[in-house]
Amino acid sequence: MTNQEILSVLAEAAGNPKKQLHHHLSQGRKVVALAPVYAPEELIHSQGFVPMGAWGADLELQEAKAFFPAFICSITQSIVELGIRGAYEGIHAMVIPTLCDSLKVLTQNWKHAVPSIPLIVTSYPQNRGIPAAQDYLKSGFVQISEKLEELGGTPFSEEALAKSIDLYNRHRKAMRELSSTLGKHPRISARQRSDIFKSAHFMRKEDHLELVEGLIEGLSDQESGGLPHRKEDGPASRTRVITTGILADHPRLLNILDETGFHLVADDLAHESRQYRTDAPTGGAPLDALVERFCKQQHCSVLFDPGKGRASYLADLATRENARGVIYFMTKFCDPEEFDLVPVKRNCDAAGIPFLSIEVDRQMSNFSQARTALETFKEMIEQRRM
Amino acid sequence: MAEEVRKKPAPPDPDSARFKLGAIIEKHYREVHEAKARGEKIGWCASNFPQEIFQTLGVKVCYPENQAAAIAARGAGQKLCEIAESEGYSNDICAYARISLAYTRVKDVPEQNMPLPDFLLCCNNICNCMIKWYENLAEDLDIPLILIDIPFNTGYEPGPDQIAYVKAQFMDAISQLERITGTTWSEDRFREVMDISNRSSRAWLEATGYTRYKPSPLSGFDLLNHMAVAVCARGTVEAAEAFETLVKEYKEAVEKGTSTFRAEEKHRFMFEGIACWPHLRTTFSALKNRGMNMVATIYADAFGQVYQDLDGLIRGYCSVPNAVNLEKARDTRIGIVRKTGAEGLLVHTNRSCKLWSGFMQEMSKQIGESCDIPVVSFDGDQADPRNFSAAQYETRVQGLAELMEARKKGE
Repeated sequence: MTNQEILSVLAEAAGNPKKQLHHHLSQGRKVVALAPVYAPEELIHSQGFVPMGAWGADLELQEAKAFFPAFICSITQSIVELGIRGAYEGIHAMVIPTLCDSLKVLTQNWKHAVPSIPLIVTSYPQNRGIPAAQDYLKSGFVQISEKLEELGGTPFSEEALAKSIDLYNRHRKAMRELSSTLGKHPRISARQRSDIFKSAHFMRKEDHLELVEGLIEGLSDQESGGLPHRKEDGPASRTRVITTGILADHPRLLNILDETGFHLVADDLAHESRQYRTDAPTGGAPLDALVERFCKQQHCSVLFDPGKGRASYLADLATRENARGVIYFMTKFCDPEEFDLVPVKRNCDAAGIPFLSIEVDRQMSNFSQARTALETFKEMIEQRRM
Repeated sequence: MAEEVRKKPAPPDPDSARFKLGAIIEKHYREVHEAKARGEKIGWCASNFPQEIFQTLGVKVCYPENQAAAIAARGAGQKLCEIAESEGYSNDICAYARISLAYTRVKDVPEQNMPLPDFLLCCNNICNCMIKWYENLAEDLDIPLILIDIPFNTGYEPGPDQIAYVKAQFMDAISQLERITGTTWSEDRFREVMDISNRSSRAWLEATGYTRYKPSPLSGFDLLNHMAVAVCARGTVEAAEAFETLVKEYKEAVEKGTSTFRAEEKHRFMFEGIACWPHLRTTFSALKNRGMNMVATIYADAFGQVYQDLDGLIRGYCSVPNAVNLEKARDTRIGIVRKTGAEGLLVHTNRSCKLWSGFMQEMSKQIGESCDIPVVSFDGDQADPRNFSAAQYETRVQGLAELMEARKKGE
């Protein structure tokens, strides 16, 4: 497949999660949906399910209003909205972690709003550095595994889990490599980059890995990878930035990033690269590896981060990737992100890295403010260069 | 409208519970200031962090949540919130957190000052917002942060794995605090503190339980003030004695037929949520004027932990109101409504508290159906005065009064 063909397949998957779900179901596969931010995907995969991400959708909230007050994040609200409207029909369970207050709320509302789809809760420890946290998490994973078996999954098998971990580690490595490769290819648009990451939530990892590896190979072969030139300015004038936040997948927003002339050279989005930063160790007991993987994860707003490592991580990432600015996509009503914003901005300011925060949510319909802010940000960065 | 019985305020009786409770709060702040002045390490502490730890170690702490409530009740909530917003904090963030983070900037707020901390004690059994708030405090002040992570209970009761995880953190927190403050843990002192805490909690719960009498010997809003002692001093003998005095006074009031609710008790209702501290007078007056007495609230009981041993203590902290699932939270409230004979439910949809308000619509609906009582909600905030509309509140309270009245008339 050519790069363009691969990108088209990924774009199709990213834009049509329902079609992907129906495809999996038509193949006789069992599907489990995963709400943000982290789930023991390898475990779910090893017991015979296709894990599919459920990060909500850009839609008008109607039914969910009977359950949520307006000031709960629209990602969680739109998950319930989709559930009530039947978008998840056919899935075996919804997995929701309780990593923030909105997600805790989501677990409780889900039970009553969508009683037809069983809920599996992942209770992660926040004090991840102490041995007791690992015991607690392992015990939680065992309970999840038992529940998956009750729901028609295959019994827990160390061998199967080890295989799934290997697959997921290879996929994570490929996604990290891809992100690095995309940093060298300004002709890949923000929209295309988002599609690559978003499609990973909907496709089988086996299939996604193959396409991503093909794309890495294709891009490394040629400067522009046979991709059409963008009608806007040339790649040399694109401004290298990194993005951070929970998610930024609205096509209009991504188009504005492209039209304004930004090149996303790396990201720290929960929906994108945060999923792939940490591998599960190999060699030991696979369930322990899964536990260790979670406990090792860092620099994320929904994980206890006492030294605010995320702030220095972002500054380092910007420097390493030769990025000329940081764009913080602030998901409205997301406490963890709202708290992190201040130290992250302060740290960027102290390091002399241009910083922009843009409020986003699943109810966004007017993008003119975002466009103006991005245009101004671009100009500001360019003036610094002069 | 009920006729208000106006009396000239009596001079404070030093033997009264009210006097004693006020003195405890005053002493609480004074002692922590004095400890700081002596060069001792003092902390800021989350309201439902296991207080037995620092009480046993003899370490002084104060409570940003209490401070924020006091600042908001005395009219400076908006000013502090705006300072935090000027620092970049969204006005969607919990107003207690905004006030607290602003305080670390200005360091002097006459409405309620506290010494700046040398360490932080955080516990997220009331919400995960606490973690982020305390992370930022630790970063701003460059001081250590001790977290006891209590995961949200999605089951009906905390399981043994959760108890083990929290217990391990309890022990770890002791070691960390010993290192920071140079103090030493004593098992004998710990048992003593547990005994005192149980005694205080039993008395507090017994006192709050007096609202079951008809009419109630107390105005439920009194509990919102007294509760500060349950938060910050329940491991002290003074708090135990003050709550026992409160029990004695309520017992006598029942015998005499008197009440601190200074109006005819026409309706008895449950209040759900944290008080709107900036609008306490407005919110109370609208109720009192209609003879509506708050006889039930989960809020007061949130700070009464009664346990037999360390496992029981841990289980208690794992089961505070915001740490439990909808079904457990619902059933507890249904129990309170039935025990107190509440005839309606007034829900504060608190902009500051996503966890408390996030599944309240479904839960309050289920409570209303189960207890066959009307449910009415209003929008407000625990400390940011801008998120409250007096007109909306008045209308909703009026609506609840009419619904309760209609039911009494059998309509």
